[in-house]
Amino acid sequence: MSPLEKLTFILMGVPTTLAISILSFFLGLAIGLPLAFIRAYGSKPFQILVDAYEKVFRSVPEIVIMLFFYFGFGSHLREPFKNAFFTATFVLGLRSGANQSQIFRGAIRGIGEEQMVAARSLGLSRLQAIVYVMIPQTFIAATPGLGSEYALLVKDSSYAFIIGVLEMMKRADVVRKVTLDTVFPYFAAAFLYILLTFPLSTYLDMWGTRKKKQLGL
Amino acid sequence: MYFLFEYLHLIFSGFLTTVEVTFFGIAMGLVLGTILAIGDIYGGKIVSTLIKLYVEFFRGSPLLVQLFIFYFSIPTLLDIQIDSFTVGLIVFGLNSAAYQKGYIKGAMASIYEDQMMAALSLGLSKFQAIIYVILPQAMRLVIPAWSNEFCSLAKSTAALLIIGERELTSAGKTIAGHTWRVFETYTFIALIYFVWISAVMKALDILYEKVKIPGLEVSL
Repeated sequence: MSPLEKLTFILMGVPTTLAISILSFFLGLAIGLPLAFIRAYGSKPFQILVDAYEKVFRSVPEIVIMLFFYFGFGSHLREPFKNAFFTATFVLGLRSGANQSQIFRGAIRGIGEEQMVAARSLGLSRLQAIVYVMIPQTFIAATPGLGSEYALLVKDSSYAFIIGVLEMMKRADVVRKVTLDTVFPYFAAAFLYILLTFPLSTYLDMWGTRKKKQLGL
Repeated sequence: MYFLFEYLHLIFSGFLTTVEVTFFGIAMGLVLGTILAIGDIYGGKIVSTLIKLYVEFFRGSPLLVQLFIFYFSIPTLLDIQIDSFTVGLIVFGLNSAAYQKGYIKGAMASIYEDQMMAALSLGLSKFQAIIYVILPQAMRLVIPAWSNEFCSLAKSTAALLIIGERELTSAGKTIAGHTWRVFETYTFIALIYFVWISAVMKALDILYEKVKIPGLEVSL
């Protein structure tokens, strides 16, 4: 294989890597945003549950959880966990939900109680205040954090390699096994991962910081 | 869950490897990260650019890639042999340094200007001021960020299983493969991670409370 062929083979893993990262990011968003509001405004028992969820996903390795689901359910050929792509995305999404809950909670705290009080005093219900006043601002305040969460997911999507998903990391490893070239494939993969994470997260960080300053958040 | 008792030695030796790599990684990251932070603040443009490249590589690429590079690529390039445990120590140390540099630099920058001027005006040299005035305060401020870094490092040591190092997760994989009791095994492994990581984080919380300087806490 020429270097170009090797690179092309690794590049063909980019769609899978991006699919895992983006899908798990949105799963994490769907989990994390409600959890953050429950943590901020919910009743005590729910707050404790959210806290426990965050703690578990903070300290148990993604790899262990992936192996748990993949070999636990997957080995009995139970849909959908026997699909390694699904399992990887699902687990990373759950993990990202815990992270995003923390990011959004920080953003809610940054916005402050006054906004909530002001919205309520204008006659909005609690739910209306959350949907129309808090959430739009929360997103802006959370943008830098969400940018680095996305970058984290792109990197962590490589854990899918362990349960056999043919993404970028796995392809680099295949190239090494086939050609016995131990140098090029891994450096190429490292470079591609940096290319996938760095520009977007830097841009989101800059945009979010500027926007926050503009709005005085 | 009784079948797990037969494998306790395996779990325990795996756990020890995990703990060793974690603590070594954190310690090496702290020393190297502090040097990088000082170099970045005082080192001038070229040093600062080099440090930026270093940090970007280790923060921008996945741990798995870094482990493979140090396990396969570097030995080929330098024509040496490195065993998987040493690879773990090196990679987690270098990787953690890249993250810790950011936290330490942030903490140093937050107390930098007035304190530095005051120290210089009292006749300390710049170097003395960093060692005796800035760092002792910065190290206190950095503890909360540091405990997050500990948490993510401890958990990511599981990645070592891909280069065949026998740490906690790979011990779990072996047991699950032998017994086919997948759920029980990984639940137990997850529990071990949860307990030891939570315990250390709690200890770091207490440490932060103990050493903090009233009026100089991290504002959240």
